[in-house]
Amino acid sequence: MTILEDVVRWFTSPAHWSGPDGITTRLLEHVQLSAESVLIGAVIALPIGIVLGHYGRFGAAAINISNVGRAIPSFALLVLAFQIFGLGDAPIIIALTALAIPPMVTNSYVAMREVDPDVKDAARGMGYRELAQVLRVELPLAVPLVMAGVRTSAVQVVATATLAALIAGGGFGRYIIDGLAQFDYTKLMAGAILVAALALATEFSLAAVERLLVPRGIRLLGASAAKRVTFKAA
Amino acid sequence: MTGGLFLDYVDPWINWDWVSRHVSLILTSLLAHVELTVITVAVALVIALPIGVIAQRQPAFRAAALTLFGVFYTIPSIALFALLIPYTGLSTLTGEIGLVAYALLILTRNVIVGLDAVPADVRDAADGMGYRAFARLVRVELPLALPAIFAGVRIATVTTIGLITITAVIGLDSLGQLILTGLTDGVHTPLVVGTVLSVAFAFVADLALAAGERVAVPWARPA
Amino acid sequence: MNWKARPAVLALVLAAAMTVVACGSSPSTGGSKGTITIAGFKFTEGSVLAELYGQALQHAGYTVNFKINLGSREIVAPAIKSGQVDLYIGYAATDLEYYNGGLGEASGDVTATTAKLNLRLQPLQLEALTPSAAVDQNAFAMTKANAQKYNATKLSDLAPIGSQLVLGAGPECPTRPFCQPGLEKTYGIKFKSFKALDTDGPLTRAALANNSIQVGLVFSSDADLQKLNLVVLKDDKQLENADNVVPIIRSKVATGDVKAVLNRISANLTTDELITMNGQVQLYGQDADTVAAAFLQQHKFFGG
Repeated sequence: MTILEDVVRWFTSPAHWSGPDGITTRLLEHVQLSAESVLIGAVIALPIGIVLGHYGRFGAAAINISNVGRAIPSFALLVLAFQIFGLGDAPIIIALTALAIPPMVTNSYVAMREVDPDVKDAARGMGYRELAQVLRVELPLAVPLVMAGVRTSAVQVVATATLAALIAGGGFGRYIIDGLAQFDYTKLMAGAILVAALALATEFSLAAVERLLVPRGIRLLGASAAKRVTFKAA
Repeated sequence: MTGGLFLDYVDPWINWDWVSRHVSLILTSLLAHVELTVITVAVALVIALPIGVIAQRQPAFRAAALTLFGVFYTIPSIALFALLIPYTGLSTLTGEIGLVAYALLILTRNVIVGLDAVPADVRDAADGMGYRAFARLVRVELPLALPAIFAGVRIATVTTIGLITITAVIGLDSLGQLILTGLTDGVHTPLVVGTVLSVAFAFVADLALAAGERVAVPWARPA
Repeated sequence: MNWKARPAVLALVLAAAMTVVACGSSPSTGGSKGTITIAGFKFTEGSVLAELYGQALQHAGYTVNFKINLGSREIVAPAIKSGQVDLYIGYAATDLEYYNGGLGEASGDVTATTAKLNLRLQPLQLEALTPSAAVDQNAFAMTKANAQKYNATKLSDLAPIGSQLVLGAGPECPTRPFCQPGLEKTYGIKFKSFKALDTDGPLTRAALANNSIQVGLVFSSDADLQKLNLVVLKDDKQLENADNVVPIIRSKVATGDVKAVLNRISANLTTDELITMNGQVQLYGQDADTVAAAFLQQHKFFGG
């Protein structure tokens, strides 16, 4: 298949690795946009989900925020961000952060709810006060599912950051959008492969982090993040 | 295309005059969106049911199927469409293949979960009553798995409705075209109309499916 | 509402919607001289021109199928070659360079350019009619502030300072002979970098406004350039060639009557009027079809 040969040639050409449109630059742009959005989103979403889950309040809202978020087209969020905030990285990050929040709220809420009430009682009985109980007993048990939420958000942000090329954003999406406009199917495929690889790498590396963060005892019990609330925005 | 900064004309977020002049465009986009959704979920379900059944019985196949579909799910949609374009062109088929690929993970997983949840005693009882394997599947296990399957269909439908807007970038007709028009023409109204209708459609579809579930599975508590 | 009724209501709403769509897209009444499908490029002026020439044919008694916003030339040209559309309104020089594979045959001479275009079109059973005086070509603009800062009034002024400037245009610009490669070849301008935005759209305008690009691609018949404080740099070395508006039509459809109708519109269309029509759509939110209809009525083309 000649197009695959062309794509291999595209990847092996050193010109495509350097410069403002090179793979290295685009990779850094994509990762930077995504990481910043997920981090800011986590700072907002995790405390909300954890606190709500600990107290068991506003559960319907915490769960439904993902249902609502799932229904909003991510593409529209980016265009809206451009029309309100203009051109640049900041509007993109605003849109991506908004996208990152729902899965993290829902998953961390569910994570805290899943903590065995007996464990919470035991902790209270042992004299843990509220904050200490959350930090030292509940959170470690909730971590797998919380991380699963972060992982879900991260993959969706990486995917949507690809679309940011439509509002003049950088990143690997550039190769796809430019490839379409230039009818350069080699660039198009190369970009698609890079985006897919980055998304899969994000998923697998964060899954590995998730496994590392699971307390040894839980890991031995074979607990899984099967209760993860999934989300596909792009 | 329009610039964005006019001194004497401020573009409202919804220009009802524009809406009234473009009713047929809006309806065509909506109809295309509905059509694409129905085809995607139907095709994905037809594929996911047999695969889910087999996967639920064979652990090795289960792992393989879920991993493969999981990989599809993780690949961003625009990238998946882009990978298909050199082979299937800028066509509806490209969009449909990609969209079906995404729905497969959700539906297959829910078929598996649904079948897993069938109590062993019920299966034994069915065997005892003389049901052969296929009959047992169709007349006992799948009906019991329906709540989980419906849940999957609901999530897959809402997800698909959102993803279809992206197909506008590869030239397909849908509410996403209205959103794209808002971007390329620098106007708010098509963006707002496209987004609102997309969310509304997702909401209505979810409600309709929930209602359908109450009809089909009267004995189960709706999810 | 009874939950059983909800799905029925949904079905009713969908059925109603489908009926409205079906009625809205039914063809016009019979007694026509034939059907012609006209395609329009995917930008404001493309829609205006397609509506203008298409409505003229409608008035002359033809049934016209409009394919507005079909896409760029890469989509429209194959469509007319394969007979899916019969007619589109192109631009002499750009179309010539498209059909000759970028040989550089186009020039500022519209007659010569159109003749060469017809040579290329003939084997495809297409032809270009008489070009209009109305012109729309690629133009490169800077903000007034930057033009003053860099003391630039014409494109050749940019040659010595190219390395300080970022060029912004649609993603196809680095591969189009009248865009970035042309600026480098004809003017010797090597830009600091290129930013992929959109073809003469809101992204380009926003980028010019916030100075993330210093030179942006616009179209010379844009109506909002003055309002946005943009100055078009003069194309002193004639990079942009005779991009006169010219209908390109399938020979099978090009009867004497059809050609007469189309040529009459071309003969009466000026660049200023094109700018005005574009302005009505871009600045005042009017529709291309309304604006085109008004033009036809104003010029009393069809006794009305």
